[in-house]
Amino acid sequence: MARRIAIVEDEAAIRENYADVLRKQGYDVQTFANRREAMRAFDLRLPNLAIIDIGLENEIDGGFALCQSLRSMSETLPIIFLTARDNDFDTVSGLRMGADDYLTKDISLPHLSARIAALFRRQDALNQPTSPENLLQREKLVLDIGRLTIQWDGHAVPLTVTEFWMVHALVKFPGHVKSRQVLMQESKIFVDGSTITSHVKRIRKKFMQVAPEFDCIETVYGMGYRWNTQMIGGGDVGIDGSMASDAGGGDGGGGGD
Amino acid sequence: MTIALKHPFGIRFKLVFLSSFLLVIPWLGYRYILEMEDYLRRGQEQVVLGTARALATALNERPELFDEGTFGPTRRSENLYVYPIYYALGLDDNTLNDWGDYQRYELSYGRANTIATPLNPQSEFSRYYHNDESLNFKLLVGEHNRFLYAYINVVDNQLVYRSPDSVSIHRSDFLQISMTAPDGELMRYVVSPRGPEFIYAYEIGSDLRDIGSLRHEERIVGQWYENLDGYTIELRMPLTMLGSSLGFAVYDVDDPATRNVTAVVATSNVNDIERLGALQRPTPEIDKIVEGMGYTDSRIQVVDRTRRVLLSVGDIQNATGLSLTLPEDAEDGNRYLRILEDRVLHPIYYQILTKPSNDFIDELYVGSRLEGAHLSSALGGVAQTQFRTINEDQTRILEAAYPIYADGEIMGAVVVDQNMNGLRTFRNQAMETLFNTILGVMLLVAFGLFFFASRISTRIRALRNQAENIIDDNGRLKNTIIATTSSDEIGDLSRSFYNMVERLGQYTSYLENMSSRLSHELRTPVTVVRSSLENLGMVSQDKESSVYIQRAEEGISRLNLILTNMSEATRLEQMLQTSEKEKIDLVKVLAGCVEGYRLAYPDAVIDSDLEGCVMINGVPEYIAQLMDKLIANAVEFSYDKKPITVFCRAIKDRAVVRVTNYGPYLPEKMKGRLFDSMISVRPQEKQREPHLGMGLHIARLVAEFHQGQIRADNIKEYEGVAITLVIPMLD
Repeated sequence: MARRIAIVEDEAAIRENYADVLRKQGYDVQTFANRREAMRAFDLRLPNLAIIDIGLENEIDGGFALCQSLRSMSETLPIIFLTARDNDFDTVSGLRMGADDYLTKDISLPHLSARIAALFRRQDALNQPTSPENLLQREKLVLDIGRLTIQWDGHAVPLTVTEFWMVHALVKFPGHVKSRQVLMQESKIFVDGSTITSHVKRIRKKFMQVAPEFDCIETVYGMGYRWNTQMIGGGDVGIDGSMASDAGGGDGGGGGD
Repeated sequence: MTIALKHPFGIRFKLVFLSSFLLVIPWLGYRYILEMEDYLRRGQEQVVLGTARALATALNERPELFDEGTFGPTRRSENLYVYPIYYALGLDDNTLNDWGDYQRYELSYGRANTIATPLNPQSEFSRYYHNDESLNFKLLVGEHNRFLYAYINVVDNQLVYRSPDSVSIHRSDFLQISMTAPDGELMRYVVSPRGPEFIYAYEIGSDLRDIGSLRHEERIVGQWYENLDGYTIELRMPLTMLGSSLGFAVYDVDDPATRNVTAVVATSNVNDIERLGALQRPTPEIDKIVEGMGYTDSRIQVVDRTRRVLLSVGDIQNATGLSLTLPEDAEDGNRYLRILEDRVLHPIYYQILTKPSNDFIDELYVGSRLEGAHLSSALGGVAQTQFRTINEDQTRILEAAYPIYADGEIMGAVVVDQNMNGLRTFRNQAMETLFNTILGVMLLVAFGLFFFASRISTRIRALRNQAENIIDDNGRLKNTIIATTSSDEIGDLSRSFYNMVERLGQYTSYLENMSSRLSHELRTPVTVVRSSLENLGMVSQDKESSVYIQRAEEGISRLNLILTNMSEATRLEQMLQTSEKEKIDLVKVLAGCVEGYRLAYPDAVIDSDLEGCVMINGVPEYIAQLMDKLIANAVEFSYDKKPITVFCRAIKDRAVVRVTNYGPYLPEKMKGRLFDSMISVRPQEKQREPHLGMGLHIARLVAEFHQGQIRADNIKEYEGVAITLVIPMLD
């Protein structure tokens, strides 16, 4: 059975363009212009994946509210923000609401569909045993390329797909400097340098919530970033790892109640 | 910035200058007081003239009062003629000088006047009476200001005083004064000194040897002093003691051993009330009338046709006319205020005001005759008043003369004098009060105005400073005006400034955010176009159309890049607001950056001139971002194969980063605006990529975030540009 994707977007042309592309790829696509319509449909039946714009008709932050509601209905439903707003503040807000990814409308359609596919794959993979050929291990770091998950010293690090791909790009060749441009290409987004910087910051924070002494991602000023294999601290991982790991999704679930 | 020309005259000065017109008020007060003085003077004139008229009326039709014979000095030795004296006499000067001209009226008493009869039949003296040629005296009796004055100049070859331990008064040279009291009783007094001294008069009973009946009479004062021939007694007693008779007797003791009275010379029989000489005052009738007027605040003189003064009452020194009771508030008032008044203010005031003195000498009266135009006029039949100034302008005397008629003939005149000192004093007091008040008020007003003006100019200056600080050198709004709540015009101005700045700020922020908003707004249609193109690309397999689709997509990508660049500054600003600074070594950050740039720009020559350790408080990512922009800029404008230098040093307490490149000079007029949003100086041929002039604007944002400054300069030594960043270092 085809997977159902809901697109909530007030701009009809964009909405239909996205819908057309996704339909061609075999997805079952529902489109909604505003939060009210979307919620009515979601109350009846949840989609398998939701693509939400933040500004919906006259609701400036309608997307955020919709995301919260959806997250309260389902913990696992993949939610993607697709918006014209490219500032840090909205990105952080969106991800804290429990979205799995935050994309700007600069993204090209192939990249978008790749991302959707990745999210579905990750969802599917969660229910299946990990295949060893998909694992990439660097000391304490374990990347499951199939499921798009990362573990640090046995604790899951809740990264979005974009972040996962960035870490993946860094980890593939430890010690190699990856410029922002490269990271952008690898994570299939198209933003400016400072957005990469804030992404990297966010990744570091997520790792540090699991392991406070984490400093494997090194900034090479003027060039980019590299994965540093020499762990200075190492050793024990704090018990707050589990608490931090649901921080990403926990907020959304709590807020919907 | 033009330096505003400082006005030499500020509001404060102008206000104080304008307020100086208030000085008219004290001048008006001064004029008013002078006017009032004039009125008062005229009033005084009328009062004085009225007094003179009243007196003259009372004396009218009584020619006998002016009868020369009745009142002239008599030769009868028993009676004493009392001369009116027109000036005060001193009793304490050992001489008779102050009797002056009157001395020619003195009468001699000698042998002829020796009382041949026993003074007292019962007295033991009776057997000693005999003539003594050596004893005689000269006597003058005068009257001044209700006092009787007398001097007795005694010639005595042998002075015998009371011995120091003697109680009795008759065993030495002594003077007896006998008079009838106003009630007609005979009163006898003895002056018997123990040496030259102030006299001490005893009232004696029926027998002068009776020591027990002696009683001190203090109303008789005077002095006994010696001279070459004998001694002189000057004495004074009030006229109220006297009735109609008066007599003096000089007793002489020559032998200090026996101390018996050897001779007596008397003006009349001083022990017999019937034979006591009469006291002849010149004008007793007139005197009574004048007395009846009860007027003491003037000097009143009655003059006969020959201008001889018949009577003079009161003295001109005390005839102030206006009687002033000064409030004695010296104790109540503030002592310091009084000291201030006495030491500082009054000396200043009396530079202008003249202080009248009562120590003047009325020189008009030579002898006993009166001069003056007013008198001449009165004796001619016309009452007249006149002012006379004596004592070098210090004292003015008001004189009124009114004729006295009898049988249609002018018999004489009444002259009433008052000095104007009372009025002058009154005026001076009014002036003092006026000056004090005005001084106080002026001080108060001046200080008030000064304070007020200072306050206003301070407020205006504060407003001006605020207004100057609103816009920085680059014309950007950096401050706002604090709207005051005061309700006056300055408050109004401040509020309207505030509103203006607010609106300007809104407009500026609208302009600054326009690129960001524009990019945001454009993004949606761009997305529509791009997604449509992509869809088209997926659908169409036509080779020809895919070329166009590809071109369109390239165009869209460029458009997208532009939009991203446009919003970069806004995004950065938002991020800066939430960023936290850390302690970083600027040299290390720059070294890393330079390494990166060498890789990123393999064609460019990038030199680094980095030394030491420059610690600043900052965010390394942003510093790197800033450097990205500077290097990109330098590489773009650099001449081929010429080095780009990155320099960093700690200079004083500042970190200085400089990026220099060989390249075309910056146009002068653009140098200041280079770091503003959407300013680009690229020549057209350089425009291979879209440029919005956001790069250096971002550099400035980062510099300002680090409390630093950034500026661009042309290099003098060679054609090139240096961009300098100055950031305060950590302590």
